Amino acid sequence: MAGIRLKEITKTYGSVKALDQISLDIKNNEFFVIFGPAGAGKTSILNVIAGITDPDEGDVYFDEKNMNYVEPKDRDVAMVFENYALYPHKTVYENIASSMRTKMHRQPQEIIDQKVKEVAELLNITELLERQPAQASNGQRQRIALGRALVRNPNVFLMDEPLAHLDAKLRNFMRKELKSIQERLHSTTVYVTHDYTEAMSLGDRIAVVNEGKIVQTGTAGEVYEFPGTEFVAKLFGDCEINLIPGQVVQEQGKLYLKLPWENHRCLLPEDVARVLREKEVTTVDLGARSAAIEYFRTPEEGCIQGQIYTNEPLGNKVELVVKAEQAMIRFTVKVDEKFQIDEKIYLRFDMEKCLFFHSDTKEFLTRHQRQTVRGGRGNGRA
Amino acid sequence: MEKQQKKPLYLKLRPWLILAPTLIVTLGILYPFCQAIFYSFTNFSLKSSVWEFVGIKNWVEMLKSTDFWHSLWVTVKYTVATVGLEMLLGLLLALALNRKDNLFSRILKVVLIFPLMVSPVIATLLFKLMTNSSVGIIEKFLNLFGVYAFPWTADSSTALFSVVLIDLWVNTPFVLLLVLAGLQGLPKSPYESAMIDGGTAWFTFKTLTLPLLKPVLLIALIFRFCAAVQEFSIIYSTTKGGPGDTLMNLSLSAYQEAFTYSSIGTAVPRILVLWLIINFVSKKLVSAWLKSKSANAG
Amino acid sequence: MYQRKSKFERTAGIAGTILLVVYMIFSLFPLVWMVITSFKSDVDMYKTLFIFKPTLENFKNVLTTGNYVKAFTDNFIICAGAVLISVIVGVPAAYALARYQFKKKESVAFTILSFKFAPEILIIIPLFAIFQTLHLYDTYLGMIWIYQFIGLPLLIWVLRGYFEDIPVEMERAAELDGYSWWSVFFKMLIPLIRPGLVAAALLSFIFCWNNFTFGLMLCGFHIQTITVSALTYIATDTVHYGQMAVASLIAIAPEIILCLCIQKHLVRGLSFGAVKG
Repeated sequence: MAGIRLKEITKTYGSVKALDQISLDIKNNEFFVIFGPAGAGKTSILNVIAGITDPDEGDVYFDEKNMNYVEPKDRDVAMVFENYALYPHKTVYENIASSMRTKMHRQPQEIIDQKVKEVAELLNITELLERQPAQASNGQRQRIALGRALVRNPNVFLMDEPLAHLDAKLRNFMRKELKSIQERLHSTTVYVTHDYTEAMSLGDRIAVVNEGKIVQTGTAGEVYEFPGTEFVAKLFGDCEINLIPGQVVQEQGKLYLKLPWENHRCLLPEDVARVLREKEVTTVDLGARSAAIEYFRTPEEGCIQGQIYTNEPLGNKVELVVKAEQAMIRFTVKVDEKFQIDEKIYLRFDMEKCLFFHSDTKEFLTRHQRQTVRGGRGNGRA
Repeated sequence: MEKQQKKPLYLKLRPWLILAPTLIVTLGILYPFCQAIFYSFTNFSLKSSVWEFVGIKNWVEMLKSTDFWHSLWVTVKYTVATVGLEMLLGLLLALALNRKDNLFSRILKVVLIFPLMVSPVIATLLFKLMTNSSVGIIEKFLNLFGVYAFPWTADSSTALFSVVLIDLWVNTPFVLLLVLAGLQGLPKSPYESAMIDGGTAWFTFKTLTLPLLKPVLLIALIFRFCAAVQEFSIIYSTTKGGPGDTLMNLSLSAYQEAFTYSSIGTAVPRILVLWLIINFVSKKLVSAWLKSKSANAG
Repeated sequence: MYQRKSKFERTAGIAGTILLVVYMIFSLFPLVWMVITSFKSDVDMYKTLFIFKPTLENFKNVLTTGNYVKAFTDNFIICAGAVLISVIVGVPAAYALARYQFKKKESVAFTILSFKFAPEILIIIPLFAIFQTLHLYDTYLGMIWIYQFIGLPLLIWVLRGYFEDIPVEMERAAELDGYSWWSVFFKMLIPLIRPGLVAAALLSFIFCWNNFTFGLMLCGFHIQTITVSALTYIATDTVHYGQMAVASLIAIAPEIILCLCIQKHLVRGLSFGAVKG
């Protein structure tokens, strides 16, 4: 059990900066998710924590203890590798039992047997125990790798995309299991994923990483409702956020947002207007997720007109792309609302649910504050 | 909180510690190597313990002597003949063997490698056994065609042919084995698309197979070249460089200088020339190999 | 997809078969002839080719008289000792070259490789003098010492490839499981490269077994290698062709057996890991 602190970690491979001034403060017993696109440096962060990679600069602390150059075996860390890293010459049983065979974590045979069986049961791989890893499918190998970590009771669990190769049903099940295991074991867990639903449902907190830098750290609710940049906003939600350039105009003491459709402008909520005035911003990018878009089949007051461009079912929802003059706007509707391609549709942006970004820096400016949002968990709606 | 620590020395040194035995052992070979270069500037001899510096005299004398240029020429002839024929023959055999997949070809793939395992000296023994003028079976065979007492290594006109034949017997399987592995590792999809495009077999071979095989062929060439250019065993065990100086290549002439005439100072420059040739050519070949490998990968 | 074979392909097919058959005879007949001759008595040698009364006389002569058996055991001791040293020295080196990033890494690797390609005589001449002063000339120790250079580059380069084939994460996983560096090496890595290690060691053994120049120039009175000893069967202008065949057979037999054992790894070994057959 330990808290982990990374202080200004930098790691360069040749001319590529894999990690650039990474600082993180992971609390004891926290389920911490590192989330970002492929190649962002997520795995490198885990490797630095595990001691597999020595950073060029910066410090790693477990609680108050500086762990730089402490060898991996002395860090008491369990890791699930993305490519499983199983021992091909040992049976599945011995793979899972391996840590308990070492001098450091030695256990009597009965305990080993009991623990291995328990974990195998949980992961539903009991029938594989006597086989070699080569005879297991990818999903099974991933569970073996998970099992090898879960038999331990380490300072820190490090998990690198541990559910990536499981089928959807198993993934949902394992997600819940992992969360409950972690709560039961009270161990600090650092979990790497590129799947935003996993990140939001598992993480006590999420660090969003891009190009070797931490872009934002916060609870699922925070990163979803208050994304620090347009980049972060785009990563969350299964229907990408719409970003529409707009001009802030003042008329009769009120601020309006002028959007790139003829004569289309929206009244900004009071608190949004106040922030924009303070920051003296005249152009913004409007960020509108599905929830901020109202749609009608018949013309309504303050709507823009568009045509259905594509129409893609996503399970219980349908993602629509609407062409409105030059812009493409995407959002989801319920599956039972049938829309035909080229059908006319009328859209309105709900300024109270929209995000506002600086059009040059792409950084978050403000949004209308609902009473309940801040600090709470996001409802995961996307 | 503690300050950042320095990387502990034992971690920094670990790769070197693991390499240490090899490096120590390596010194055992680098030391004589340097000493050899040193000898080439002395009149060091195995017969007397007194020696002195003679500067570049050994080198100048070597460059002026005709037998040096002769042995260089023999080296070139031997290398071109053996390596050229082995590459060609090995490639053709591998192509022929790769076309078929039956019991016969599978057995051949195993047994044709046997001569490669045979020491050149033993190969020479077998050669003598077969070509001997009193009991050799090849002699008996040639008698059927009215050829009696074919001279083989005894005559300067047939000596090179004879030793090349022995070298071919031993080393062709090396090229065969490598090319066969290369052929079996060829990707399938370009051939399928070539077939759809309707290219002829020869065209497919020329534009597809040969370029794809280039890395393997270059590897075979590097190994064969470096061995053939310094060949010693076969020539020594057949004729010791003779008849006369017909087969006196650089290795043998250096051996002769050093061990027959006990003159180390004049022997070493000859091998250093050999070493320079090997170094120069193998560097070129290795960079060609690296290039062809990355060309095929991308 | 059915395609009619072109004329070129048919001709090439026939030519290929002819080439294979001719080469097979060229390649294998000497070995067959060696076996036949080894069972032939000296008298039959002149009279017949294939039909004769087989005898073990030649084997008896080679094994009981002369020093061929001693040469065989000498050769075995030297080769086994040399391979053992190259394994002990080479395996850790291969690992270091596969796993660690350090300056001069590639130059170290290529220096080791260059031993394979350097002319042997270049080293032998100074070694001849050094061995005399250190009293290593004509000793097992001296021969083992020089023979291990035959196998070392092969072992290092081939095993480096085998180590690189093991995902580095597996090694890291073992470290995180609590294994010390030594246990990771011996319990995780060595079992995984064992087939490659055995094959490379046996191939080194074959290379050592076949070496001629070192045995010719650096020993000869107390110790004789098998290749040097076999050569005496030519040099003495012997009329005992049967014994010559037996000597060859004895020298070749271990190699053929070893070659069959490492069949699968032969390409990779012979090309020093450059071609992964």
